[in-house]
Amino acid sequence: MPKSQIVDPAQVRKSTKVSTPDIPVCAYKKTLKQERKQFSDNDLIGMYEDMALIREFESMLDQVKKEGSYQDVAYNHRGPAHLSIGQEATAVGQAFLLGVDDHIFGSHRSHGEILAKGMSAIRKLDNDSLLHIMKTFDDGAALKVVEKDHDGSIKDLAIDFLLYGALAEIFARRNGFNKGLGGSMHAFFTPFGIYPNNALVGGSADIAAGAALFKKVNQKDGIVIANIGDASMGCGPVWEALNFSGMTQYNNLWDDAHKGGLPIIFSIANNFYGMGGQTHGETMAWDIMARIGAGVNADAMHSERIDGFNPLAVVDAIKRKKELIEKGSGPILLDVATYRFSGHSPSDASSYREKEEVQMWQDVDPIKTYPEALKAEGVLDDAGHEAIKERMAKLIGRAYRLSIDMDISPRIDAEEIGSLMFSNKKIKSYDETRKPDVLIKKEDNPRVQQLAKKARFGLKDGKPVSKNRVYQYRDAIFEAINDKFYEDPTLVAYGEENRDWGGAFACYRGLTEAIPYHRLFNSPISEAAIVGSAVGYALEGGRALVELMYCDFMGRAGDEIFNQMAKWQSMSAGVLEMPMVLRVSVGAKYGAQHSQDWVAIVNHIPGLKVVFPVTPYDAKGMLNTALSGSDPVVFFESQALYDQAEIFEEGGVPEGYYEVDFGKPALRRSGDNLTIVTVGSTLYRALDAAKELEEKHGMSCDVFDARSINPLDYEPIIESIKKTGRVVLASDACARGSVMQMMAANLSHYAFDYLDAPPVVVGARNWITPCAEMEDDFFPQSAWIIDAVHENIVPLDGHVVTTNQRVAEQLRRNRLAI
Amino acid sequence: MATPVLMPKQGNSVESCIIVQWMKNAGDQVNEGDAICEIETDKSTFEVEAPTSGILLETFFAADDDVPVMINIAAIGEAGEDVSALRPSEAADATAVEEKVEEQVAVQAAAQVAAPTPTAVPAGAQVGVSPRARQLAASHAIQADQLAGSGPEGRVIERDVQAAIANSPTLSAAAKQALQAGGVHAPQQGSGIGGMVLQDDLAEGAASAGMATAAPSAANYQDIPVKGIRKVIAERMHASLQNSAQLTMSSSFCAESLQNYRKMVKSQGESLGLPNITINDMIVYAAAKTLKRHPQLNAHFIGSSIRQFSDVHVGVAVDTDRGLLVPVVKHADKMSLSELSSTFKPLAVSCIEGKASPDDLQGGTFTITNLGSLGIETFTPVLNVPEVAILGVGGLQLKPYQDSDGEVIFKQSIALSLTIDHQAVDGAPAARFLQDLVNTLEHFDLALAE
Repeated sequence: MPKSQIVDPAQVRKSTKVSTPDIPVCAYKKTLKQERKQFSDNDLIGMYEDMALIREFESMLDQVKKEGSYQDVAYNHRGPAHLSIGQEATAVGQAFLLGVDDHIFGSHRSHGEILAKGMSAIRKLDNDSLLHIMKTFDDGAALKVVEKDHDGSIKDLAIDFLLYGALAEIFARRNGFNKGLGGSMHAFFTPFGIYPNNALVGGSADIAAGAALFKKVNQKDGIVIANIGDASMGCGPVWEALNFSGMTQYNNLWDDAHKGGLPIIFSIANNFYGMGGQTHGETMAWDIMARIGAGVNADAMHSERIDGFNPLAVVDAIKRKKELIEKGSGPILLDVATYRFSGHSPSDASSYREKEEVQMWQDVDPIKTYPEALKAEGVLDDAGHEAIKERMAKLIGRAYRLSIDMDISPRIDAEEIGSLMFSNKKIKSYDETRKPDVLIKKEDNPRVQQLAKKARFGLKDGKPVSKNRVYQYRDAIFEAINDKFYEDPTLVAYGEENRDWGGAFACYRGLTEAIPYHRLFNSPISEAAIVGSAVGYALEGGRALVELMYCDFMGRAGDEIFNQMAKWQSMSAGVLEMPMVLRVSVGAKYGAQHSQDWVAIVNHIPGLKVVFPVTPYDAKGMLNTALSGSDPVVFFESQALYDQAEIFEEGGVPEGYYEVDFGKPALRRSGDNLTIVTVGSTLYRALDAAKELEEKHGMSCDVFDARSINPLDYEPIIESIKKTGRVVLASDACARGSVMQMMAANLSHYAFDYLDAPPVVVGARNWITPCAEMEDDFFPQSAWIIDAVHENIVPLDGHVVTTNQRVAEQLRRNRLAI
Repeated sequence: MATPVLMPKQGNSVESCIIVQWMKNAGDQVNEGDAICEIETDKSTFEVEAPTSGILLETFFAADDDVPVMINIAAIGEAGEDVSALRPSEAADATAVEEKVEEQVAVQAAAQVAAPTPTAVPAGAQVGVSPRARQLAASHAIQADQLAGSGPEGRVIERDVQAAIANSPTLSAAAKQALQAGGVHAPQQGSGIGGMVLQDDLAEGAASAGMATAAPSAANYQDIPVKGIRKVIAERMHASLQNSAQLTMSSSFCAESLQNYRKMVKSQGESLGLPNITINDMIVYAAAKTLKRHPQLNAHFIGSSIRQFSDVHVGVAVDTDRGLLVPVVKHADKMSLSELSSTFKPLAVSCIEGKASPDDLQGGTFTITNLGSLGIETFTPVLNVPEVAILGVGGLQLKPYQDSDGEVIFKQSIALSLTIDHQAVDGAPAARFLQDLVNTLEHFDLALAE
């Protein structure tokens, strides 16, 4: 809580009541005659054309899935097709006013939104811009296909390009907008302002909030729309995103240039069903979805229900909401009432709804009622109407035949996917045109001045320098971040207690004075929104550094880490970069829900770089690397080590910039008879064990600190095993399924012929973490390592074990699931 | 409710017994007290009697199964009764006993957080050869799987191969190649320079035992499981050498006095009702009397204290088919020679027949082991811990003596080897005991007068 605001008990305890603004429901009353004053006939007909295009596109997919052909050309599409037949007016009405700087994020049911936004962009962009986009995107791969034998205008060519790029993506072809790696549920095309659609229900909410944060912090043009469904309003992360977008600090604490809520519309395509569950009346509490806005902020998020079956009502709403956002009055919530005639997916027989209900909605289907209204008003005639329908069938037919042809539209070479998992770039600054916003000069920062007096190496004449005089791990974290704040203007850092408090572990102390609110702020305790918004911020082209205060909170951000942060670079086929660092602090002393090392969980997920530095030198060097890259990095830290001094690099931690490359494990001690590999703070206990093994048993050890878990270069460890023949692996993670087990299995494989004993893993017990006083019985101690060597690798003369590391005991524990 | 038949606990130290044979079969009518099966401990054979009368409903273990004590081995009751509640859960495979014991050890170890130090196990029981050791062995033409492993659970590890290499003869390149090809073995010493083994030195077939390159083929050896008495002996002997400071001293005595006395008993003993007294009986008798004067040798070493006994109970080693057994002649110091002789003989017979009771085999304060009849001259007996002394008796041999005229004459003599635990007894008192014993044996008539 910032000191500038007082929580006054007199105010808090005063008797009053909460009142909320009225929430309009379908308030739009204009007639077509009235609307003709502001819309040209071309605009009005264009809206119908786009609706008809989407209806034909979706009907084609429906036919292909159900009948295996379209326009008498057979094709078997194995992938998904979540159709939005019936929702066309919603998509077209929304896109009508949007420019390419307005970014939409979608759901698994967003084909209509892609096409509507694409058509809107084609109408607004001039020919040169369109050609430039088509020629430069993917080196013109899709353009080359559609421009062959094309004799129409550039805009017509662009429509073919849009349809082909989207359909080739849905059919998983190399010429698709994302080389077929996104597919139906994830297709997007950023040059037209179409950002990722998301297969996780509500997945786009916090990502879109992050995109809006990017626009706000970096003062970019345009708004952001999160197109999610009514069922997503039951998802926790969606609620987190609503709250995150409306934090009061935007108005109360951020400077004038950045004041106001996030420029975002949560546009809920309310079709009343989440798969087969009826949100209205069955699975949700809110009755009318628009009501939710009242629970978020004093403006009720300017929420209202609008008629999604009337494109003009939607255009009207977007116009009014954009104006509110431009006044800094976001975020906005829209309950866009609509209906899908198609099932959730082709396998859905609609057994959960009455045919009469579907018929009632079909009677007011805008694809029929809107052109009839245009005809009644004299804007369109029957011949024009028929011509449009024929033209759409022709356009879709052409795109269909091109995209199913394996010669014209082959699939990507599978091995290429590997090269798209990471972007592996070195980028000092994501915007070199701007000077970073800071409050003071770096040299005036009291912490920078204080650090100048610290000993940057932890030993003097072989003895440890006192904690108060030595440069610590937390200082290394601070220094890397502070330096980057002065280098990359797009860098933002947020999380719980990052400002004022300085982070729960004092890594950020000294930043509050130096960095303005819009670059360093306290987030709500919303782990999903913290990580999800960082994903959105990064894929918009900004560098995000966010924090989970305890590793144990990772579960709260599960989807955001596993499906979003990890996947968007590769699912975009390299269109997006993900310059995002997630700092994760591994706890201790706080028991079962605050002391877990979950490195293995993120290491398992493809698409993440995972590091765990345990020395100040590595902490600064690896954070520098992470903050100068273009890939998502999960950066583990150990709370047991925040006051650790540097004791390995004799030159101490450099004051200037340097990087420690990911991949190579660090050799912390050298020997000939045993190899020890550790991850995390276990290193220091392993070094104690190595010392004892050498002094008491003449067994000298190579001790490796596997500070980078993914990537990991095994070769130095294999070379060591060739020498020693023996390897013990230790970390504070529960042994079962830990990364040590993975490394042990790999080393058994890679160094089999050199092993004199099996690789032995010493991990934490497969228990809950007990109280601080009992942690030595839970986390591996140096004695465990020595006992494990004695029992499993080579008996040590005169050694008396104090723990049971025997195979029979391991078998027993496994039988008991502990 | 059917009545269970328990595997009895034959003495405190018995953990399991082997079922030798079932004397009654499932379905047989048995009466209370009938022997229903014969069991064997590491020390002896017993019969298990029916605790009640009825039908022997089921036997839970087969002959040759090693069954932990106090486990149900059978059930007796009325025909058709359900015995499932009595059936031990582990009955299915009694060979699992050893595994089970191991498991219990593991569980105990977990509870006490004190696992025993692993010891090297003999070749044959080892768990394998590490890949690294195998590679090193292959490059030096050594058969790694024939080495005794010093790794965990007896695994052959790199250092074992390195030791074997150090003990192997140097090989010429051609010899090495031929050895790696197999089918030949190298002598310990070759005919090349410095004893290098040349290809010509290689002999056909497998190497002889004890050599680093020994390679008996599967058909040429038989693995005999170490269990029962052999297991106990192995453990005791190993423990004996591990846990005591053994020192052996030798002497001999002129057997004339014993032989004369024996002749006398042989010729006239029968008429006097005396048993057939052997030389061994007389040595046991003399030792018992002598020990009475040397309590330091009639003692147990129990670590923190030395327990000297006022009575003398002499264990006498007996060679049996099952292995070495040591029946104990209780209160030997209080017995006459004929009493001692007639006490020991049936004890020895019951040992040989495998019928000695555990009580007969316990409680010794001193042990005598006699290999004289096998032509052994002298040897170093291994202590029967916690006893502090053991006397080894060799065979008759001619030894020169000087007679009163200074002439050298040959007389029958018997060698004595006394092994003591130097932790408990010093050399001099042990030597004095041996000297006293020699004296007693050489003047056996006087000893009898005591």
